[in-house]
Amino acid sequence: MAMNSVIGKPLPMIESRAKVTGLGKYADDLSVPGMLIGRILHSPHAHAVIRSIDTSRAEALPGVKAVATGRDAPHPYGILPIGHDECVFTVDKARYIGDNIAAVAATSAAIAEQALDLIHVDYELLPAFFDPLESMQSAEHWLHPTKPNNIEKEYHHLFGSVDEGFAQAAFVLEQRFFAGEVTHAAMEPHATLAIWEPDGRLTVHSSTQVPYYLHRTLSEVLEMPMSQIRVIKPLIGGGFGGKSEIIPLEVAASVLAKMAKRPVKITYTREEVFLAHRGRPITIVDMKVGLTEEGKISAVAARVVQDGGAYCGYGPVTVLYSGALLGALYDIPNVRYDGFRVLTNKPACGAMRGHGTVNVRFAFESVLDDLARDAGIDPAEVRRRNLLKAPCITVNGLRVTSYGLPECIEKVVERSGWKEKQGKLPYGKGIGIACSHYVSGAANPIIRSNIPHTTVHIKIDRDAGVTVYTGASEIGQGSDTMHVQIVAEILGVRPERIRLIAADTELTPIDLGSYSSRVTFMAGNACLEAARNMRAQILEGVAAKYKLGTAMLDMRDEQVISLDDSRLRLTFDEAVAAALEFRGALVAKGTYAPPEESRGGKHKGAGVGPSPSYSYSAQTVEVSVDTDTGQIRVEKIIAAHDCGRALNPLTVEGQVEGSVYMGLGQALQEEMVWDNGRLMNPSLLEYKIATTLETPEIESIIVESIDPEGPFGAKEAGEGSLAATIPAVANAIYDAVGVRINSLPITPEKILAALREKGKQQRGGKSGSNGGAR
Amino acid sequence: MSMPAFRLERPRSVAGAVSILAAHGPDAMILAGGTDVVPNLQMKLFSPRVLVDIKSLAKVCRLSAIEWSPGNGLRIGALSTLTAVCESLLIQEKFPVLARAVATIAGPLQRNMGTLGGNLCLETRCHWYNQSEFWRKSLGGCLKLQVSDALAGKEGPVCHVAPGGRRCWAAWSGDAAPALLTLDAEIEIAGPAGLRRVALAQFYRNDGMDRIALGRDELLTAVRVPPRMAGRRGNYRKLRVRNSIDYPLAGVAVSMDVDPRGVCRDARLALTAVNPAPLLVKEVGEWLIGQTASPELIERVAQQAIRTAKPLTTSGSTPVYRRDMVRVFTRRALEEAWRETAGAPV
Repeated sequence: MAMNSVIGKPLPMIESRAKVTGLGKYADDLSVPGMLIGRILHSPHAHAVIRSIDTSRAEALPGVKAVATGRDAPHPYGILPIGHDECVFTVDKARYIGDNIAAVAATSAAIAEQALDLIHVDYELLPAFFDPLESMQSAEHWLHPTKPNNIEKEYHHLFGSVDEGFAQAAFVLEQRFFAGEVTHAAMEPHATLAIWEPDGRLTVHSSTQVPYYLHRTLSEVLEMPMSQIRVIKPLIGGGFGGKSEIIPLEVAASVLAKMAKRPVKITYTREEVFLAHRGRPITIVDMKVGLTEEGKISAVAARVVQDGGAYCGYGPVTVLYSGALLGALYDIPNVRYDGFRVLTNKPACGAMRGHGTVNVRFAFESVLDDLARDAGIDPAEVRRRNLLKAPCITVNGLRVTSYGLPECIEKVVERSGWKEKQGKLPYGKGIGIACSHYVSGAANPIIRSNIPHTTVHIKIDRDAGVTVYTGASEIGQGSDTMHVQIVAEILGVRPERIRLIAADTELTPIDLGSYSSRVTFMAGNACLEAARNMRAQILEGVAAKYKLGTAMLDMRDEQVISLDDSRLRLTFDEAVAAALEFRGALVAKGTYAPPEESRGGKHKGAGVGPSPSYSYSAQTVEVSVDTDTGQIRVEKIIAAHDCGRALNPLTVEGQVEGSVYMGLGQALQEEMVWDNGRLMNPSLLEYKIATTLETPEIESIIVESIDPEGPFGAKEAGEGSLAATIPAVANAIYDAVGVRINSLPITPEKILAALREKGKQQRGGKSGSNGGAR
Repeated sequence: MSMPAFRLERPRSVAGAVSILAAHGPDAMILAGGTDVVPNLQMKLFSPRVLVDIKSLAKVCRLSAIEWSPGNGLRIGALSTLTAVCESLLIQEKFPVLARAVATIAGPLQRNMGTLGGNLCLETRCHWYNQSEFWRKSLGGCLKLQVSDALAGKEGPVCHVAPGGRRCWAAWSGDAAPALLTLDAEIEIAGPAGLRRVALAQFYRNDGMDRIALGRDELLTAVRVPPRMAGRRGNYRKLRVRNSIDYPLAGVAVSMDVDPRGVCRDARLALTAVNPAPLLVKEVGEWLIGQTASPELIERVAQQAIRTAKPLTTSGSTPVYRRDMVRVFTRRALEEAWRETAGAPV
């Protein structure tokens, strides 16, 4: 087979020119004649019965074209079939400060805002719950009457024999960890333009990662057949999970457009983005790990409580991932997991990059580091001693097909100078290591069905342009470019020949969406199948016309050539013309559904965690700690990521760097700060995502384990590197100053408090394995 | 969110600006670089009926000039951009504390727009106040910004930082002022009666609600630093989460005159972001005069700085930590100033 011409090459993303020149159109850039501006009224109370709403004064305001409340869209919805617990405008009561009460469409933003002030809502205040541990003890005033004690879901899993496992352990450590709440902070605030068409159809342009789920939900809420609704995803300025379920403004704009029979655009303020949230929950993890004398993990017991906020959202999936992905990174024979998703009167949490795995990984990798010290084993070595032997199926039913973790660890140990540094740097400087992994898409769809998860069409007609139709959503991760590369490779054409039409429900076949890092693996496989199908059609046409066999024909460099007859050399256009003679316009299709063997076990909750393939990451982090101020300076991060095969090393590196960047933010400075259910920092000035100036040098190393089922061997690259960063930072801090910080973010103040607690440690002396702050 | 409606006035002279301000009193507000005013307008922290845009005065009235003479010292027009101030070689060489402090204000985009006068007149900040109208209404308002809505509690406006108190503790969050305080700066203020000069230290009221002694019909036009302060070594230490863009959570400015033997001839120390005003730390000048550096002396000064700092829960960082850092930063700023003087001049 010929050398790859496009696959594995650092191709700049096809939409990047539009983005960097400012010509690209995001949802808020769209504008159509007659467009109204929508604004949403939010609850000022954390928990309150809505006795009545009077919209008459708002409706009477000149310029107001529609006012919607819960009565106008009473269908509950939610991303999970088991979690249809929210309405676009809450009907019975408000459940958090910011809950959606009503919305107005008017001829200007100022009029719409003025109208919001004229809506009178009569509230009856209820006691509210802000602390998950208190909330799950509550006897009354539950957020949802169907959820006793404010527990959304709880799962209890036992694999192997945990008690026996701990009995075999020479070292057992149990620690409580706390992770503050973080949010996606995508650069683009959510925006939706809903257009009521003259023929009674609805077209919705929205900043979504999941056009298909939005399409379904709009159909249910608006009581319109899906065939009458079109959802289009324009350019997206970052998703990270924050646009991976139905966001209230999407439904609100659509309801208002239907009422006003006019186009309606709503763009969230940054504060509304924070209140829509769906980020990573406050998580309390009790992590117990046992290690044998030889450094083998003998048992893990984890109890996880997640503060999910007021609605279900992805909650049960989050808490299941937290348990399921205790497996598939290391070889762990015995696992107990108790997970609780708790409701509180705060904005709903949801999926965020590294969904469900990140906070538990922080806990696990921290405890493992401490255990390694107790056992006198190098922290990198302890991880090596617990590797899986792939291919394998883990104790909790996860099928691992390719496993580049050993090489990831090797690479970062070598590049970082680990052996010369770990435990040997002067006081105040340290190095830490940690590992993580992630799914390449969920093997089981959110809405159970046997329909393939994704379909790709390709069309070629007389212009010999190749048009690829995919439902997959480019959200900055490289989805569009990935399709182009695969088709260009298989058809042997330049990427410029390929036109991509993506994420438009009227034109493109369905893809489930850009979440759980599924697109390269799943849409990539569908695209590969479609391209091979198209290739076969073209070659059949050429073979028929020139009376050849197809076996010796090849497509490369914009040509079709015969490997055994050098006289046959057709341009791509000529080859297409030949095929058109037999078939007319060429159409090809490819689909993907995860194989049955990848779909996991049978226990309750077994559906979440299984994936056709897993990515792996190992990282080293070097820090300096200022022991007077507690300030931490991350000097360098080396991240090795096993993505199966880098279809595009440029985008893989970008994804790894982005993951590390977000992990670092959660490790050191990002946190949503709450005061009685009120978000104290709903702005990018006070919610401290790092700028490039605070971001250290990140060296990404690509490891290619060539997955047997991934397209060209590829698997996940966009999320798996996030989780390792956080414990690697915590472990580096331990190496630097001998204190173990169990709470995120690791602020200077927490460092100082821990150092003070540790007490009499002399400057210049390096802490031993029994550093006092544990 | 949309901004409240206002009329934009563009006076062509300082006198014109003053007369517009005088005519509209509390309904008017000055707009210079806009980096503080515009976001605050969007949050509806105030709703002036008239915005008096004075940017056009920069050229006509020497309001953006940076001038030095050995007799009169330094004069910086109030409309000088923060970039112009921190990139001025003159200021870097003769008044390093000012150049260093100004270089830490926000990010380069804001420094290109923001003015020195604006930074000296910055609105005080508090995380119970610098929030959207929706947010403040849901809270029921605060002492600094009451809401007329029925949402306000029965007991009337409440300070959420010091409940029960009648004083606003919103923090002074400028970086230029502490530096200029250590240089004994004066400011020029134009009003209906002409120009007046006032010591910068007298300009700040240490009241979160009524931060500066500037009449509603007055305009800050220039900053002056006396010639005797030229050549002083100095530096500025600023606590914040992101060194790229954030407001200070605490700040320490030091200016020192030290003889070649390392004996302090004169010194000033000022703090920011830990009170409703930038404040000079009292008495430490006298303690330092005639002394060489010693850990005991530096620690004594740092303790005095802590006594001056009264941070409250106006931001995401805790008062305890901010006070701690006032001590650490004071120590480091003094040590650095002493070190620089002892070695080659910067």
